[in-house]
Amino acid sequence: MLEARAFEPDFLRRLDGLVLGVQRSRTVREGRRALGRVQGLGIEPESFKEYTEGDDLRFMDWNAFARLDDLMIRTFRTEREIEVTILVDASASMSVPREDDKLGFALALAASLAYVAMASNDAVRLGAFSTARGGAARLETSALHRRRETYPAFQPFVSAVRTGGATQMTEAMGRLLLERRPAGTIVLISDFLVSAAEYEQALRSLLRARHEVKVIHVLGDRESTASYPPGHYRVRDSETGEMCEVTLGAMAAETCRRRVERLAADLAAFCAANRIVYARAFGASHFDDIVMREFPRLGLVR
Amino acid sequence: MGLLNPRNLAYLASLALLVAIYLRARAKPTLEVSSLMLFDEVAAPVASSRVLRTDPMFWLELAALGALSMALAGLYIRSAEAAAHHRTRALIFDLGAAMGAREANGTRLDEARRQALEIVAAARPGDNFSVIGYALEATVYRAPTSHLADVRRTIDGLKPAALPARAAAMRAALMRARGAPEIDLFTDHAPASGLLNLAGAGTRVHLHRVGTPAVNLAIVALEPGTVGASPGRVVVRNFSDRPQICEIALDLDAQSVLSTIIMLEPRGQAVLPFGPLKHGGVVQARIVTADALDADNRRWALALNDKPDRALVMSPSPEARDDLARVLLAVNQNLIVTAVDPVKFNLATAPRYRLAVLEDAYDPGIKASARLIIYPPPWLERSPPPSWQLPVVGTVAMAEMQERTNGEQLDEPLALSPARILSLPRWMDVMAHGTGAGSGGSFPLAAFGYDARGAMGMIAFSVNDHLLLDPDKLEALVLTVDMVKRLLAPQDLQVVSTGDSVSVPAIGVARIVAPDGSVSTARADEMGRVRLRPIEAGRYEVSSARTRAVIYANYYDAGESDLSAAPPAPAPSAPGASATASSSAAAAATRVEPIAPWLVAFALAAMLLGSALLTRKAMRWRARDV
Repeated sequence: MLEARAFEPDFLRRLDGLVLGVQRSRTVREGRRALGRVQGLGIEPESFKEYTEGDDLRFMDWNAFARLDDLMIRTFRTEREIEVTILVDASASMSVPREDDKLGFALALAASLAYVAMASNDAVRLGAFSTARGGAARLETSALHRRRETYPAFQPFVSAVRTGGATQMTEAMGRLLLERRPAGTIVLISDFLVSAAEYEQALRSLLRARHEVKVIHVLGDRESTASYPPGHYRVRDSETGEMCEVTLGAMAAETCRRRVERLAADLAAFCAANRIVYARAFGASHFDDIVMREFPRLGLVR
Repeated sequence: MGLLNPRNLAYLASLALLVAIYLRARAKPTLEVSSLMLFDEVAAPVASSRVLRTDPMFWLELAALGALSMALAGLYIRSAEAAAHHRTRALIFDLGAAMGAREANGTRLDEARRQALEIVAAARPGDNFSVIGYALEATVYRAPTSHLADVRRTIDGLKPAALPARAAAMRAALMRARGAPEIDLFTDHAPASGLLNLAGAGTRVHLHRVGTPAVNLAIVALEPGTVGASPGRVVVRNFSDRPQICEIALDLDAQSVLSTIIMLEPRGQAVLPFGPLKHGGVVQARIVTADALDADNRRWALALNDKPDRALVMSPSPEARDDLARVLLAVNQNLIVTAVDPVKFNLATAPRYRLAVLEDAYDPGIKASARLIIYPPPWLERSPPPSWQLPVVGTVAMAEMQERTNGEQLDEPLALSPARILSLPRWMDVMAHGTGAGSGGSFPLAAFGYDARGAMGMIAFSVNDHLLLDPDKLEALVLTVDMVKRLLAPQDLQVVSTGDSVSVPAIGVARIVAPDGSVSTARADEMGRVRLRPIEAGRYEVSSARTRAVIYANYYDAGESDLSAAPPAPAPSAPGASATASSSAAAAATRVEPIAPWLVAFALAAMLLGSALLTRKAMRWRARDV
């Protein structure tokens, strides 16, 4: 299985120089949350403002008060700890075609990104969403790990992920948001073989919770190139079980490829419009190239 | 249209296999995909439900397999023969002794004759018939002729011989009839499997089985014993599946010796002792009880007189002398045998012998009524050889006996010791043939004949190393005993088996009276002998100016005498053969033409066309899809 590749020492050594491309500093703004506001605790000054009642006196600029006789409050940029959640689609479609090992590919990417994210001692966790037997969405996440020494602790989680059921992306994201974790970075790895409305609603819900969202679009070698042997087939949808008959050949393959391109282009356009980083990872055979070249090019890692 | 081998239609099952293969290949496999979204825009198949759509490869393979299966099943067509074409039929008759068995309406041969005459009567003008008979050998009694009256006369003139109908003779008869497109074989025995195929492809063999199960008793053997010393015995056999009463009578020179009635168990045989006989003479045993076959109801044997006779055994080997003396005494206890080394033999003092046996020794001119020359040495003296010296052509280190008299092959060749290759005079009859390393063919191993000095036998192989007493080489001893018996038998009174070649002394033209009373004549050869081959069981009398000889011919054959076997269901084994006269008459106006070659040619053409289609398809795939 390809996910084992993400735990090979040789491969990990090549990732040592990379860091996750996240927006690390974020201004703490006043918002609707009147109570429990958090003052920026960083060391990089951001601005000054007049003192108002209730401000923390520890940030009073006494020098300015001595010169100007005005009470000024100094504000700082917060240097936060980023919580990185990497979610992998574990629906049934991720196991088909079997020879593409799409789930293994997605898990390898997720683990690799987790390793990269741990370079900054950020809290990182992996998650997988699928559908339980009853038809409800299921979201499983690992514990948070910060230091790279604890990276191997992800391996049991990665190995235990199994595919099944339909892709319920919106519901899975809803469950994630119910955990009410601080806003962080969420990397969503999926084949996005769902309706546009489904993934748009899911991604928008993450954005609304002020998460920084990154999308990795995963497809297998065979399905992205439609390289099926020519002939007459009954085609069965792995998630819904629907069947249809097709005749595959050179023309049909070209049609399939065009369809894949169109789906990917739609997703990329949505991501671009919503300031979501979109990375395409088509074909597990290009795993190393994708991680070492394509992700840095797209700014997913630096 | 019909099938020669309908069982081979089982090969048509390959068609079902072909159809199954194609249906399986044509079934749409199920392809599981991550989502049908990817195939939204792929066009639906044009012919998704056509099961038997046109597929040239399938139909070509189906046609090829079908044609090959029909070829294996022997598909043939019947076509009417041209009216102007005259048919030729060969009528082959089994003339073995069993064909003389009596039945309700005459003999079995009479029944065969009746069926044959019906076929001749149904013939169209211009049709040719040949008549061939076989027993010990095949004989063409009438070459193909359209003179139907001659054919009828020939058929009427056929007579069964007191001989077994040999398979080799039937094979020879079928070979002789090969030119005829239709052969009618009349026999009471089922031919061996595949024998009828010898008639050749395209020849129809109509097998006419005649005869019904009948009761037969036979005298198997008659041993006269030794006069005044040991009893004789007669062996009687019942070939019926039921117990039979058998009355046996035994005469010695027309005087009754034994007359008794015994009960024979089903398919059993009984041994009746008699004697010892008081004097020598011709012993005749006969079954008085009536049965189906007469030929095996009488048997003769010659009881030698108890008058002591002198015999000489001369050999450089003491072992050979001893063995040969034992054999002589076993054949006739009244012989006074003198065994001597050749170097110690004194011709001047030697008396006249009844029999002289010379093993690996020259004949110095011994006075003897009969001589047996065994493993004669080549003449190495400077003087010319005497007239009686048999010329030795060569010597083989090891010989193998292949066949005995009457041309019967041995079950296994008998390995013998060294043997001489001799150039035999014409008056000697070969009794056994053999082969040897470097001999370049078969050569006589034993021969018998009469010359001016009397009876003379020859055995070409050496009897050293106790060959005659070796139980594994019993055939050599049997051959030697037979030879000694023939040498000791009187010339003017012989007891032989039917089919044996017999030579009797005669002067000028001899008159031969057969057992059935028919008379024929024969001219004596330059050695003063007349040769004949008895084919009837009974007494032959050969008389000439100053000579008279009597020959008793015995007949018995276990296979031929067994008349109880019911004719099985007809089973023609030749292509297109039918089993009965009626069916052959119905098919007489048609001709069978196997079309297997055409079917094979068609299958080959279909395969070639299929290969061409495949090649074209492969080239097109390479250009577009591969």
